[in-house]
Amino acid sequence: MEPDRPLVPSRRRFLSAALVGLSQKSGRAVTGSFVLESHEAGHRLRDRAFAAMPAREQRVPLVIVGGGIAGLCAAWRLRRRGFRDFVVLEMEDRAGGNARWGENEISQYPWAAHYVPVPGPGPSLARELFEELGLFEDGEPSERHLCFSPQERLFLQGRWQEGLEPAGTPKDIDQYKRFSDRMADFRANGAFRIPAGDSLRLGELDRLSMRDWLLREGFDSSYLQWYCDYSCRDDYGCSSADASAWAGIHYFAAREDHDPGPFTWPEGNGWLVKRLLERVGTHVRTGATVCQAAREKNRWRIVTKEIAYVSDAVIFAAPTFLAPFLIEDMPAPQAFEYSPWVTANLTLDRLPRERGVPLAWDNVIFNSPSLGYVVATHQSLASRIERSVWTYYWALADGEPAARRRDLLASGWNRWKEAILDDLTRAHPDIRECVSRIDILRLGHAMIRPSVGFLTSQARRKFTAYEADNFWFANSDLSGISIFEEAQYRGVTAADRALARISK
Amino acid sequence: MTFILFFSVFLIAACGLIYELIAGALASYLLGDSILQFSTVIGTYLFAMGIGSYLSRFIGRGLVARFVTIEAMVGLIGGFSSSILFLAFAYTESFRFLLYSLVTLIGILVGLEIPLLMRILKDRFQFHDLVAHVLTFDYLGALGASILFPLLLVPRLGMVRSALLFGILNAAVAFWSTFIFRHQIGSPAGLRVICLMVLAALGAGMVGADRLTGLAEENLYADEVILSRNTRYQRIVLTRWKDDLRLFLNSHLQFSSRDEYRYHEALVHPGLAALPHARSVLVLGGGDGLAVREILRYPQIERVTLVDLDPEMTQLFSTNPMLTELNGRSLLSPKVRVINADAFPWLSENGEMFDFVAVDFPDPTNFSLGKLYTTAFYRLLAKHLSASAYVAVQSTSPLFARTSFWCIVETIRGAGLKAHPYHVYVPSFGEWGFVLAGAFPYEPPALLPEDLRFLTPANLSNLFDFPRDMQPVDVQPNRLNDQILVRYYEKEWSQIAR
Ligand SMILES: Cc1cc2nc3c(=O)[nH]c(=O)nc-3n(C[C@H](O)[C@H](O)[C@H](O)COP(=O)(O)OP(=O)(O)OC[C@H]3O[C@@H](n4cnc5c(N)ncnc54)[C@H](O)[C@@H]3O)c2cc1C
Repeated sequence: MEPDRPLVPSRRRFLSAALVGLSQKSGRAVTGSFVLESHEAGHRLRDRAFAAMPAREQRVPLVIVGGGIAGLCAAWRLRRRGFRDFVVLEMEDRAGGNARWGENEISQYPWAAHYVPVPGPGPSLARELFEELGLFEDGEPSERHLCFSPQERLFLQGRWQEGLEPAGTPKDIDQYKRFSDRMADFRANGAFRIPAGDSLRLGELDRLSMRDWLLREGFDSSYLQWYCDYSCRDDYGCSSADASAWAGIHYFAAREDHDPGPFTWPEGNGWLVKRLLERVGTHVRTGATVCQAAREKNRWRIVTKEIAYVSDAVIFAAPTFLAPFLIEDMPAPQAFEYSPWVTANLTLDRLPRERGVPLAWDNVIFNSPSLGYVVATHQSLASRIERSVWTYYWALADGEPAARRRDLLASGWNRWKEAILDDLTRAHPDIRECVSRIDILRLGHAMIRPSVGFLTSQARRKFTAYEADNFWFANSDLSGISIFEEAQYRGVTAADRALARISK
Repeated sequence: MTFILFFSVFLIAACGLIYELIAGALASYLLGDSILQFSTVIGTYLFAMGIGSYLSRFIGRGLVARFVTIEAMVGLIGGFSSSILFLAFAYTESFRFLLYSLVTLIGILVGLEIPLLMRILKDRFQFHDLVAHVLTFDYLGALGASILFPLLLVPRLGMVRSALLFGILNAAVAFWSTFIFRHQIGSPAGLRVICLMVLAALGAGMVGADRLTGLAEENLYADEVILSRNTRYQRIVLTRWKDDLRLFLNSHLQFSSRDEYRYHEALVHPGLAALPHARSVLVLGGGDGLAVREILRYPQIERVTLVDLDPEMTQLFSTNPMLTELNGRSLLSPKVRVINADAFPWLSENGEMFDFVAVDFPDPTNFSLGKLYTTAFYRLLAKHLSASAYVAVQSTSPLFARTSFWCIVETIRGAGLKAHPYHVYVPSFGEWGFVLAGAFPYEPPALLPEDLRFLTPANLSNLFDFPRDMQPVDVQPNRLNDQILVRYYEKEWSQIAR
């Protein structure tokens, strides 16, 4: 019961703020550390420095290496088709890979992947899985799992504005319009699908960069260019000058125009991992780093620290670049480039001050090197949220990935913490008074880059079509586009191929 | 010595500019149109300084004593300027008059300062050096003040304390001038006492600045404030004028004791009187216990569960004698269970069923409150309804916020419930709307509890009739992922406010 009395409150609110002023608080100490570090294990794999002499041997018809989304979805498919004689070997203590999540006293939160767009109405693997998980009710996406409003905002010219497209001059607006018309044409063309598949139509768009395509088409609005560059960094971890135009366009043209979503959860795609684990968890062995896979008579011997698995077939759902380090005579995947990323989870004891539209789910700072932050408590049903966890994303997109990986490892926690707080201070001057903890995850090979030419390359074909010795690759990096649906598609495809062989 | 002298020039220049900035900023905050306010304040101030400079020629002997007195006066008046202006805005009609009078007065005094000081110093320095130095420090002081004001003073101290702080600096300059120029003053003791008194007054102002908020605020509510409390969730203010008790939450009127019975009878009885078999009732929001009071009129009700976010609110309405008299001690009834929780999460974690639910949330003024008016919320609520239950939802004004009202109706329908909208007139609010929702068609009851003050069985069905200017409009249901209601609501009420 409450008719608004707008004049009175504004006057009153002003009075208390201006009269008493805001009490001065000093910046507080922020705790935290690097978490879930895996580059040491990675380097030991690279240097073949694991001295594994497993005491036991176990016979199992099929081994899945890697318990990310691809590996778990391969397992999901196998179970749905009634096959149970397999294990999933996961290096980390918990499955999930890039869809891992964490939890503290305030909220669960993602470590990397945090959303999936609502799959279109046509039949698709994602739709099939999501129907099974109850994400659709009577064919409609379930409201509780869709991203709540407000979904996105952009910090531009000193205040937060609604949506991610920077509002500009009539010229900018005109170019947006033209750009979105072009994307609608591409959408109608049907060449850009999810999953993207292995032989692309309009492959010529893979031979120039997104940036060059924009320039070629006369899109010179700096706002539009920023927006496209942001999109490439957000989805692929590389700038629009490095991403192929095909991939850059795919981001816009492969999605439904009027997406009511996306689907998202406090723990990000960890929600999906949990549901998958409810279905296939009994097959998953965690803490099981595969350090060698060798062909022995017509079998595979998959070596982990404690157990050597002897199998007829292998689905390799760990990142493809690792294969040559684990498997003798496996050629190194040429042209597979990976973007380094930093993600951080910030614990906020109160929400900072800010100007403009209210806190959204995805919050982006214009012209920042980072990608902004996603609010883990956004999907809470509570009407009062006083503390929160923000997941902050930073793709090290500029320059050579290898050089940036070295930067990534060279800078200590304190440097990263300061860089993150400095970045956020632009939009939230008092952020340092609000944050009590910053945990930082460094991902050297976070995701595959769809660099110019990669999607149409022979190098990629070699691994997507790999079929020798009952061994299939399945990591999402085969797609060159690092999203949930690609990981699922790769896992399911490999599972189907494996079943076709094993049941023969 | 020379340093102290020029430092004093620096300080008084800074003080002078701060008073001007405060007057300008306050005027633009409180009156709007910042360009107009700033130009007229600055213009008046500069003109007054000119008057001051001109008047300085009439001061003959006792230069230093005059200078000290003027400094102390500037400190006092300038220091209290923003407090005076705030109170004037809250209590009087003559804010503008006071504003320009104060600006003129301070301007004249400040205009006197520099000419007097130059004359005091003229025997100590070469004239060309003196002019150069004094003016240099004068302008430096202005620079310092203009940088400090927006960056540090306003955000950190607020207007009242900033003015007081600079008043103190001004008075301090006066005070130490009685030492620096002691040979040029007849009897410094008297002047020192004056300075100390001014300093003490300003210091006291500094300490009491917080209380001033309350003082100014009280007057923004038309009536006497008899209780005001900041809880973790909201600011609760209770006012009284004669026999009219009013509750404000975050400055939004919640009820007036003169006509709240209309609202609460309308919220509860059309639904509950139609459910003779109801035993268990849920109230969401409504921590004032007034809806519960109406519910307890039905002897067959065995259990009322009240879920309200703020424990201090329900505590207040269980203990304060004035308030318990108003709600008939409803929250103390053994049938009533009070739960302090956020309603949406509470419902999703709880499996209880109810025969009637009264939903009395604040209006959807923001996205957080908007969640409580979504299809997702009503779907969840529907899972807590026993077979024949009804829900009554307060749904803002169908007259002032017509689109918002019909959006709530549409949302309830979107959640798969039948919706029966109705409205009543509550003088302190205006035309107010409710929606009765349930799985079944609704027939108004033939019987109502006795001794109601507003509703009769005969006029009940009229409530469901909407005149032309409140009839349905085309709207979308409100969903968590678009929150269209908050946008409708914002638009409609901002039009009313204008
Ligand atoms: C920062 C970031 C944000 C992202 N955000 C999104 C998003 O919002 N939405 C989205 O759809 N996608 C997002 N992605 C893409 C994400 O990578 C994919 O969606 C998907 O999770 C990839 O799954 P995968 O199984 O192919 O690979 P991975 O997740 O990399 O899984 C590989 C698994 O193999 C394991 N492994 C590696 N080596 C070994 C070994 N030797 N032995 C055993 N196990 C091993 C790893 O521990 C890991 O669990 C994001 C990625 C990053 C880096």
